[in-house]
Amino acid sequence: MSEIAAAEPYVPFRPGLLRFEGGRGVLVGGRCRECGATYFPAPEVCARCRGQEVERVDLSGRGTVYTYTVVRQSTPEFQTPYVLVYVDFPEGVRVLGQLVGCGPEAVRVGMPVEVVFQEVGKDPEGRPVVGWRFQPVQA
Amino acid sequence: MDVYVVGAGMTKFGKHPDRDAVDLAVEAVNEAIRDAGVDRRRIQAAYCGHVYGGMVLGQKVLARTGLAGIPLANVENACSSGATAIREAYLGIRAGEYDLVLAFGVEHLTTRFRGALTPGEEDLEGALGLTMPAVYAMRAVRHMEEFGTTREELAYVSVKNKRNASLNPYAQFQKPVTVEDVLNSRPIADPLRLLDCCPVSDGAAAVVLASERLCAQLDRRRAVRLAAAALRTGTVEVGLPSMAFEPLTRATAQDAYERAGVGPEDVDFAEVHDCFSIAEVLRVEGLGLYPVGEYPKRAARGEADIGGRLPINPSGGLLGKGHPLGATGVAQVVELVRQLRGEAGPRQIPDAKVGLAHCRGGKAAGIEGAACTVLVAVR
Repeated sequence: MSEIAAAEPYVPFRPGLLRFEGGRGVLVGGRCRECGATYFPAPEVCARCRGQEVERVDLSGRGTVYTYTVVRQSTPEFQTPYVLVYVDFPEGVRVLGQLVGCGPEAVRVGMPVEVVFQEVGKDPEGRPVVGWRFQPVQA
Repeated sequence: MDVYVVGAGMTKFGKHPDRDAVDLAVEAVNEAIRDAGVDRRRIQAAYCGHVYGGMVLGQKVLARTGLAGIPLANVENACSSGATAIREAYLGIRAGEYDLVLAFGVEHLTTRFRGALTPGEEDLEGALGLTMPAVYAMRAVRHMEEFGTTREELAYVSVKNKRNASLNPYAQFQKPVTVEDVLNSRPIADPLRLLDCCPVSDGAAAVVLASERLCAQLDRRRAVRLAAAALRTGTVEVGLPSMAFEPLTRATAQDAYERAGVGPEDVDFAEVHDCFSIAEVLRVEGLGLYPVGEYPKRAARGEADIGGRLPINPSGGLLGKGHPLGATGVAQVVELVRQLRGEAGPRQIPDAKVGLAHCRGGKAAGIEGAACTVLVAVR
């Protein structure tokens, strides 16, 4: 699976969670205009102050691994093993995703990772479905 | 208006390939009514907790137990479904609407699932590959990181509960295991292994609840007072909270302690939702029964054993007794009743007066947990 770099015809893994601009993809969260609480995905109403004005905010391309696991038994749609990580972003949100680009034994708490966008499957019409993965930041 | 548990019954938990959910529930309901020593014609309402049992499962059980016609609601709250059914019964009596109510829970999980449960593919995190074992594996990593908890200490939770289960004829596991057995079992989601995970189970459990007024007409010595039945849902997580602690469990416990007029220091034993070894740690610390971060070390020293300072999951818990989702919360109360009556046989906790039952079920992206219940029973 190669990284999706351009705005070729694609279907986002979930509507509203990611977008491409100038050939680069970003994860899109939400920030409450009243109290500043940040979320991914963006909610309709702020859970902290109940404010109803939640603006869209692009998340940084990098974060750090908060915790992880190597999944060795899953449902039939997922090929095991795969690594799951919760990644903390500087915006104050935690996002789940699969870790690629290194072996399961290399993952650590606190490891810096970057977001990459990949084809994660096809929709019923055969168009590529694009989702996010994390990969270690090359030092 | 005080509420009492006057009857309790359950099936053996395990794999029941020759029976269906209705059949299992009928057995548990009949046993609970017999145990209560009441005429079933006096039961005024019923609540049935289940997750995967399909439409109107509870009514099918009423039809086979001579109870058809009374009000019944089927209750779904993931792994807290059975405890939520009990709470509905408790609320109906406290409201003064009923004097005698049946609550039961059932699941025939072996025909619904194999392997790991997931939040569901429609859930954002489920679609990313999250499984329930993975959730708890990632919490275990954090507990190890923040408190220095060891892999062996986590394994001991499972060793303890499976040993307790071997003393419970209703439990799915009847053989004790060792720490080495846990560490050598098949990896599921690192660092958790097969014996860190509760099994897939079939089973049913039932309780009969009575008002104080009706209880006075029964054998009062066998009645156990249900002093609190608290329920909360998980709040949306904001910021970067610790995954090594459960605010939802803490908040629900505080509701229950306040209502029951007891504190964690008064609890003599607890049945907690140990779907995974690490889950027992998070529950017990969230409930305030052991200091945050210390439970694994203290449990490994025997403090949570039957006969220890504060026994946890004397029935065997989900790890040892099994986890037929809808039945689990009701079976916990069955154990509270047996312990508080002094009918728990070889796993009896001497002079137990206050027992606590904790369930926590479900996962959805963005919230800490779906539904959490804490029930307190007092002799």
